[in-house]
Amino acid sequence: MSLDEMIRMAFASLAANKTRAFLTMVGIWIGVASILAIVAIGNGGKAMVIGAISSGSERNVIQIVPRELVAPGLPQPGQVLSIDDSDLAIAASFSGVEAVNETFYGTAVVESGDKSDNVTLFAGPSDLNDLARFLVVRGRMFTAEDVLSHRNVAVISQSLANKLFGSGNPLGAVITLSGVPLEVVGVAQPEQASLYSFVMGSDNLYIPDTTCEDIFPNWTASEMDVVVKPGVDVSSLANRIVLALNIHAGDPSAFVDSSGLLASVSALVGKVTTILTAVIGAVAGIALVVGGVGVMNIMLVSVTERTQEIGIRVSLGAKKRDIITQFLVESMTITSLGGLAGIATGIAVSVGLRALTGIPASVPWPVGALSFVFSAVIGVICGLYPAVKAANLNPIDALRYE
Amino acid sequence: MIRLVGVTKSYRVGDQVIPVLKGIDLEVGRGEFVTIMGPSGSGKSTLMHIVGLLDRPTSGDYELNGQPVLHLPSNHLARLRNQNIGFVFQNFHLIPRMSALRNVELPMVYAGVPRARRRDRAMELLEKVGMANRAHHLPNELSGGQRQRVAIARALANDPAVLLADEPTGALDQQTGAEILRLLQDLNASGRTVMVITHDPHVARAGRRILHMVDGEIVREEVRDESR
Ligand SMILES: Nc1ncnc2c1ncn2[C@@H]1O[C@H](COP(=O)(O)OP(=O)(O)OP(=O)(O)O)[C@@H](O)[C@H]1O
Ligand SMILES: [Mg+2]
Repeated sequence: MSLDEMIRMAFASLAANKTRAFLTMVGIWIGVASILAIVAIGNGGKAMVIGAISSGSERNVIQIVPRELVAPGLPQPGQVLSIDDSDLAIAASFSGVEAVNETFYGTAVVESGDKSDNVTLFAGPSDLNDLARFLVVRGRMFTAEDVLSHRNVAVISQSLANKLFGSGNPLGAVITLSGVPLEVVGVAQPEQASLYSFVMGSDNLYIPDTTCEDIFPNWTASEMDVVVKPGVDVSSLANRIVLALNIHAGDPSAFVDSSGLLASVSALVGKVTTILTAVIGAVAGIALVVGGVGVMNIMLVSVTERTQEIGIRVSLGAKKRDIITQFLVESMTITSLGGLAGIATGIAVSVGLRALTGIPASVPWPVGALSFVFSAVIGVICGLYPAVKAANLNPIDALRYE
Repeated sequence: MIRLVGVTKSYRVGDQVIPVLKGIDLEVGRGEFVTIMGPSGSGKSTLMHIVGLLDRPTSGDYELNGQPVLHLPSNHLARLRNQNIGFVFQNFHLIPRMSALRNVELPMVYAGVPRARRRDRAMELLEKVGMANRAHHLPNELSGGQRQRVAIARALANDPAVLLADEPTGALDQQTGAEILRLLQDLNASGRTVMVITHDPHVARAGRRILHMVDGEIVREEVRDESR
């Protein structure tokens, strides 16, 4: 018997009981759709998180930090392994380096009138907003001129502004840092969803590095920012500079390239998201198993109902193989149609999600293809027992069955 | 054509063995019309199922067309059944939900006859039994006599040499039964071997040989002369 003949026959007998075939299909449909939706959401979420973490890491600045800074979070003043002038000179000696700047991080207390707050202090050159990943949303960033002239100016984060000034205007106000008055020139907000906004607190104070050195003469730089000339391979240059600095420090792991750190964090996040997706997907897989059991159940009912039909077919010359194939094709037809519907639904969900939330959810085509094959395989697995049962019916008993 | 030697069939019910056929010797030549009569439970249907290769005897030998068939695997028997045997049952046994035409096509589906040819042949057969105008009706849209005609058309699908009918007129009124019988006689006249089980002496007289079964044995054979 040819394949198209068998499929035609399967459709004919499914059409004889459309409601039942449809309801049986729904189980597979839901199972496949939920797995695909979860994979789509997982992939989309992963792409978004990794994109956010590594956003802006494609800069021409190498950010080198002492190893000590990496592990236990934010240092207290003076705690850091120092970056001193000789380190800066080593970095500056590499060809391909445009400039070398220092930035300082630390915790400090700022006061305004009777209010005070613990803040994270960032001090650096006039492109600190680029290095520490924030945007000045009101007022201005301090300028190169401010830096050169050791001016007492500050940019504060929105949340710090809210704490100190409430709804009042912070621009032009004076705050005190360690007894030194600073004029607020700008209000900043973290760049959207960058790693810095995860790691760093939200009450931030940004000042010129020269001003910081005046206020805290004992502080040593927390980060060295090496600006690379255009057209230079940033990561290879970063490796060479870090190596040279480590040799100079006499410790093979004294300094690290923190942009490299970013890459490893995003790899880790990717891995975690993948595992999470797999776990939730496996839970959704239970729906598919339940659907499969439903198919098997209905096929068994169908075999019992059609006992006489089976006897008639055998008396007309059907071989065991023909009977098995007939029922297998029927259950495969149910599960494949369910699988197709599930794939369509999964894709629809991911498209809808992308439109509504902007999460780049998508069903990778191998996953779609695989779930189609898998739903057909479920048809075979769940149809096999009923089909074999049908083929092994004694034709005489089957004919006598009323 | 059909040769049974010492065929027995028994069923085991619990630890009791119930003999249903007790040593049947039967020879039916090509083109014969044989009828079998006997009380209910005497084993007529069982015998017919064995002749039709649907069932295997407990012991004995069976040659179909001079070829011993009992040792053959079930796939092989299915093919022999498909090609050589046509069954007609008391309750018609048409597959519901399939049109008359599809029912008639079915043996040809299992024989692997291509679609177009199958359709033509099924139509031809329905015409032969006077059912062409009902080809697309479902069995439950047909009367008993019409269903039996369709069943006969189906039995003829692969042009089998042997036609086995188990009380083909049992569910029909006398006149319709007579029409069905005439159809079987015509088929016999065109060279088919026909075996009919019946309770009706009128029907039995259609055959040249009438076998009387009692309790799993052929107790008497009546041979009628050619004129009827
Ligand atoms: N599976 C079975 N198990 C046990 N006994 C069986 C089985 N099938 C048939 N029999 C017995 O075999 C005997 C013969 O049955 P069969 O159907 O051949 O009779 P029959 O002559 O065709 O009767 P009827 O005229 O009523 O159709 C009956 O006594 C029946 O009970
Ligand atoms: Mg009977």
